[in-house]
Amino acid sequence: MAKQSDFVIETEGLKKSFGEQVAVDGVDLRVPRGSAFGYLGPNGAGKTTLIRMLLGLTQPSAGTMRVLGRPMPKERSQALARVGAIVEEPGFHKHLSGRENLWISAAAREPAAHLRIGKVLEQVGLADRADDRVSTYSQGMRQRLGIARCLLADPEVLILDEPTNGLDPGGIQEFRGLVRSWIAEGRTLVLSSHLLDEVEKICDHVAIVDRGRIVAQGSLAELSAGDDGAITIGCDDPHKALGAIGGNGSLLEAEEIAGGLRVLLRPDEPLEKAAAKLNKQLVTAGIAVHRLEPSHVSLEHRFLEITRRFGGDS
Amino acid sequence: MTTLEGTAQTPRSPRVSFRLERAELLKLRKSRGVWIPTAILTVGVIAIMYTAVELFHVSNSTKYGPAGGTINFGHAIMLMGQIAGMIAAALVGAAAGTQDLSSGVFRDLVSTGRSRTRLFLARIPGGLALLLPLMAAAYALAAVLSVVLAGGLATPSVTLFIKAGLYVLFSAGIVYVIALGLGSLVGSRAATISILIAYLIPIQAILRSISVLGRARDGLLSVAVERISPLPPPDRHDIINMSLATSLIVLAFWVAIFGGLGLWRTRTRDA
Repeated sequence: MAKQSDFVIETEGLKKSFGEQVAVDGVDLRVPRGSAFGYLGPNGAGKTTLIRMLLGLTQPSAGTMRVLGRPMPKERSQALARVGAIVEEPGFHKHLSGRENLWISAAAREPAAHLRIGKVLEQVGLADRADDRVSTYSQGMRQRLGIARCLLADPEVLILDEPTNGLDPGGIQEFRGLVRSWIAEGRTLVLSSHLLDEVEKICDHVAIVDRGRIVAQGSLAELSAGDDGAITIGCDDPHKALGAIGGNGSLLEAEEIAGGLRVLLRPDEPLEKAAAKLNKQLVTAGIAVHRLEPSHVSLEHRFLEITRRFGGDS
Repeated sequence: MTTLEGTAQTPRSPRVSFRLERAELLKLRKSRGVWIPTAILTVGVIAIMYTAVELFHVSNSTKYGPAGGTINFGHAIMLMGQIAGMIAAALVGAAAGTQDLSSGVFRDLVSTGRSRTRLFLARIPGGLALLLPLMAAAYALAAVLSVVLAGGLATPSVTLFIKAGLYVLFSAGIVYVIALGLGSLVGSRAATISILIAYLIPIQAILRSISVLGRARDGLLSVAVERISPLPPPDRHDIINMSLATSLIVLAFWVAIFGGLGLWRTRTRDA
């Protein structure tokens, strides 16, 4: 039996080339057990290629990988027995019903998978249409059938590549609910997406990938924790406040905003020290300060900042 | 971790359930584009042949003999073993070899961790489970009509019935595996069917008529299939004589080459 690792997926120096084109370039990935892990990157960043390697759909050019503690592709069969995945758009035999498609997929899994068909169809809200041909399903229904197919494995790890494609807002809402219930059950989710908002709403850990390389990896809190070197000040007289801080050498620029000021600090200026100094200046000038806080960067800001910077390097 | 059902950790059943093979059969038998032409090329062709011959006989019994009897049974067997039955086998094999790829389901099946070899091998009994019953039904129809419509003609012996039945099923099985392998190799159903029909009908006929090829023609599929037929060779100018052992080796070679190529491609293909 494989040793229970803290990470359900581990890769080291994973690389995939198509001729001259490097799609995945030395990826070291660690997906913590029980996390909702976002694999975030722009289109063409190599997200799907990485997932395809993890699932044994294509061979890596170099590097090693372990899924649920088992080396891939050596112990592929045992490693993937408890993994459910949707890669790109889920494919189905359109001349068969949803239930029959699940039956076919269950045939490739353990015998108990057949017993789960009714349950998973209910979970994704397709029980009423289960015996209709897939050719009559909308794209959103096919996506939900793909999710049902993942659940047949009773998976420890769910790997979903752009899973909300084709879902309407209601479907997306339901999907998020499903994901939360999976996480609550102790399953690990790997969500590959180019949609920042989606990742921010669902995931607690993120890896940002660009041009085949992971450029940042950590918890969502860690990646969003940085400030952008600015302080937002709430005060009763923004115009007077702007004049009062005019001589402050710690500032690069300052501007009036609704209900206060936004000041940008010099890069080498410690935030706490600068905030205290500003507060003292304003209070001394007789201005009532009711808010003084560093402005945090969103994941979106960080994502764009990182991918732009790395894009510029190459 | 909460499981979906308490059965999640159930050990694999020691009972052989042929679930993958049944899944292959399900895909094929629910596809109208597969089973309707296959039924036409097997049962339909025999029904049409006997109906046509009997109608000729009824309309002019002095010129046309009864539809039954050993000779017409031989024609029916040749039709099943070497023409329509082969095309039916090619259709089913091509569908079995390509349908998971064309639908995008192959990727899902591979990502379950199930061995690709096992996925490929399941297609052999899965497809034969559709093809052979239809071939058997066509054969049974031919056998019954050869007796019922015999009139005063001699009817086939029991030995011939048995040998002819086995021959029809065997030749269909051979072509099925070749088509399955080629389909798995090429990945396109249309291309597989086109290649096979082109080979089975015009190309083979041309090659076997080129006498300068000599013994190399022993390698032709039609020559080997014809040799294992229990019926006397047809009165043709391009008959190639070969031993039964050679014909079996040739058939095994065809199956091994195309089955092997299909298996290799299934194992190595990017899903």
